[in-house]
Amino acid sequence: MPSKISLNVNGADHAVEVEPDSMLLYALRDNLSLRGPKFGCGLAQCGACTVLLDGNAIRSCVTPVSAVGNSKVVTLEGLGTPEEPHPLQQAFIAEQAAQCGYCINGMIMAAKAFLDQHPHPSRDEIKQALNDNLCRCGTHMRIVRAVQRAAGSSKP
Amino acid sequence: MTTSFNDMRSATDLALSRRRFLQASGGLVVAFRLFGPQPAWAKDAARTSVASPPAGKLYAWLAVHPDNTATLFTGKVETGTGVQTALAQIAAEELDFPFDRLDVVMGTTSETVDQGPSYGSMTVRYAGPQIRNAAAAGRAALLNLASEHFKVSPNQLTAKEGTIVVLGSPGRTITYGKLVDGKRLEMEIGASGERFAMKVAPNAHPKDPSTYTIIGKPLPRKDIPGKILATFSYVQDVRVDGMLHGRVVRPYGVGATLQSVDETGLKSIPGFVQVVRRDNFLGVVAETEWAAIQAAAKLGSTLHPSGPDAGQAKWSNWNGLPKMDQIWDTVRETAEGRNISVASKGSAALAFGYTKRTLKATYKTPFQMHGSIGPSCAIADVKGDHATLWSGTQMPHEARRDMAKLLDIPLDNIELRWFEASGAYGRNGLEHAIADAAIMSQAVKRPVRVQWMRWDEHGWEPKGPPIVQDLRGAVDADGRVIAWQHHMWIPTISDTHLIAAALTGNPNATGETGTGGVPVITYAYTFENADVAVHDEGRVALLTAWLRSPAQFETTFAMESFIDELAAAAGKDPLAFRLAHLEDARAIAVLKAAAEAYGWEERPAGAKADRSGKPAHGRGIAWVNRDDSRVATIADITVDPGSGRIKVSRVVVAHDCGLVVNPDGLKNQIEGNIIQSLSRTLLEEVTFDSARVTSLDWQGYPILRFEDIPDSIEIVLVNNRPEYPSYGAGEPSTNPTAAVISNAIFDAVGVRLRQTPFRPERVKAAMSS
Ligand code: FES
Ligand code: FES
Repeated sequence: MPSKISLNVNGADHAVEVEPDSMLLYALRDNLSLRGPKFGCGLAQCGACTVLLDGNAIRSCVTPVSAVGNSKVVTLEGLGTPEEPHPLQQAFIAEQAAQCGYCINGMIMAAKAFLDQHPHPSRDEIKQALNDNLCRCGTHMRIVRAVQRAAGSSKP
Repeated sequence: MTTSFNDMRSATDLALSRRRFLQASGGLVVAFRLFGPQPAWAKDAARTSVASPPAGKLYAWLAVHPDNTATLFTGKVETGTGVQTALAQIAAEELDFPFDRLDVVMGTTSETVDQGPSYGSMTVRYAGPQIRNAAAAGRAALLNLASEHFKVSPNQLTAKEGTIVVLGSPGRTITYGKLVDGKRLEMEIGASGERFAMKVAPNAHPKDPSTYTIIGKPLPRKDIPGKILATFSYVQDVRVDGMLHGRVVRPYGVGATLQSVDETGLKSIPGFVQVVRRDNFLGVVAETEWAAIQAAAKLGSTLHPSGPDAGQAKWSNWNGLPKMDQIWDTVRETAEGRNISVASKGSAALAFGYTKRTLKATYKTPFQMHGSIGPSCAIADVKGDHATLWSGTQMPHEARRDMAKLLDIPLDNIELRWFEASGAYGRNGLEHAIADAAIMSQAVKRPVRVQWMRWDEHGWEPKGPPIVQDLRGAVDADGRVIAWQHHMWIPTISDTHLIAAALTGNPNATGETGTGGVPVITYAYTFENADVAVHDEGRVALLTAWLRSPAQFETTFAMESFIDELAAAAGKDPLAFRLAHLEDARAIAVLKAAAEAYGWEERPAGAKADRSGKPAHGRGIAWVNRDDSRVATIADITVDPGSGRIKVSRVVVAHDCGLVVNPDGLKNQIEGNIIQSLSRTLLEEVTFDSARVTSLDWQGYPILRFEDIPDSIEIVLVNNRPEYPSYGAGEPSTNPTAAVISNAIFDAVGVRLRQTPFRPERVKAAMSS
């Protein structure tokens, strides 16, 4: 049966009425009307649904709401705003790093968690960090450049 | 052209149409950016017609708002390729209007003119001139209005960045927005013909391209900030009041029929609403996505169901698919008898008879898929004989017509509201999802949003077809090709029948099978004797539809690899060999430009082939003429003989699509084409057993990841000059890649691969044979 579950998302507490074993992605998209996290596969294979859970990049399509507990969820919306975009968002815009853009949520969220741990990565380390995020448009070159730019290491 | 105020005033007497309401409120831009499709206009009671606007009226293309912003309306749509920005540049250029203040409404059928589907790299090429003329006519109309306003002749006026100035009187200026004063632009600009061939505003005087200031600039794309800041609404994000969630439950086997549905336990799923069953169409509808997913899973919609009766829906045991490893035999049989000549010169048959040095080869390519990252999604609200559809289809106007046929509803009662989807690279499942949603909405009498599960997309999106090609060539003692034969067996690349129509027992309600009039090869060599022919149009095994550069990706692979085979047989440098057999100046130019940027040194291919077992380096070259754009690609690769893995290090692309509207947008496209086509070359193959597709997720159908991207992609633009028209750029640079890699592998290790994908196992096997 659906129950009221409290989620801390982008710095605010929200009560959502969902099945406890339903996945976080649907609560974020359908109950909280967020557009950052996307449904891509539902199988933890593509990364389109990536959000931060206490700073770690996780795949919300396979994370049950009941497993979130008191952890803090941050989505692409919580990273920056049109008025104050996050440096990663600025870098993706500056590099024009999107075609359809459907994968970009996952790229930015995965890069955010990665850069927090590795502020000065090499190009290869960035590629490794994003290797489980899929992009079908082939925007990879620009995505890598954008992460390099955000890390302040725009030279390879 | 009439441009009096009277026309415009009389228009204000009409009931507020949606368009005019928006203009009056200046709210159109806001409306389309709202999250969810219930902006102010949806509640506009005066809205009566959902017909498309008449192409001969200026307002069909352009609206100018009181705050001196403007909106361009186009039936073309964005698919991630940047055409929205490119078309806006074209319009802003002709209008003398600031690019930043020009918004673009795309695709929505009640708002836009049908300019044909957005496919085949044809948007800028064909819709560009239509929009250019409409905007030029718009500028002239605005000057006429200003001439009445200032009581001076139009040639005493000039327009700049959205403001009209009386020449020699700097104080006398008026903005477009003030001039138009919130009215609809009723002026007649004229239009004839349809879709791609439509001529708009035949009397317009567009600018001399050499004076362009906005076209040719690498302006940032309009859609990108929203996509990065999560303020952009994809069709997957649209929510409608009262909407339910649907999921499809597809047959276990492609042609299986539904035997029975056991609904036990479905009602206990919180939020479950009902099962929708019509013949072999099966779906579930629920209040939440999660409930719909749970219910569909119970009926059998899971990643790998164990058989036709694994779920509570029981399907017949259908096993009608041909064997996967013999699919090319099936392709040949299907196309037997049809023979369309592409080139016929001299007598190849005769020449083969008297030449000693002849070569023969067969090239094979598998089913491949579009593989959109976001699966197909649509919302339908069908109420009696009216329907509203939300879709990201690349052909909104066609989809609307198709749905009128499928639902048997008058065309004028259907509106398709277009929102961008995850990139599709051709016809994926988007059109089919509309039909799925509509059938479910009809059944439950509420708006239904359908999103395919990953396995629905991988399993049921229409595929690019498998192709088999036989080539034969003869080289004389001087190393010149004297005979060339290239026969292609290509199943239909344009099957537009709808899955839901077939499942509901009405397979031919809409749709056609054929080539869609798309060229599958451009043959440009000057061989004395040539016989190039296509055997096509048959349907084979799985539903197929166009996939980026349909069939030409495959035919270029065969043609440009086999040229290399002949060059190697003749002991010639592959670039010089091509140049010796070409007269097409633009082809020669891109080949030379690529070679120069790369630093090409002349030597026969494979001359340095290394079979020592150490990683071996090779280079490959190939080119294409796709729809009048020319592209030459050169790549450096390393073959690791131990693993069979291929690493692409450097790619150089020389690209001639004529005058470039947005150089950065073009580079983004070329990079994307290169990476996607590398993925198709190295990794991609749809697998299937006798009943169904078995590559149902990203493990079964891997695509290129970051670890395998090239170190660099260098791009040289050729003939980017005002005297050239703008040809297409969405696909051409996809084409040479497979041949480039095949040629580079041969150069590295002396082994010729004639079947994609070049997965490590296949490379290793070829090397050990
Ligand atoms: S949608 Fe979660 S990983 Fe693909
Ligand atoms: S930009 Fe389209 S999937 Fe990555």
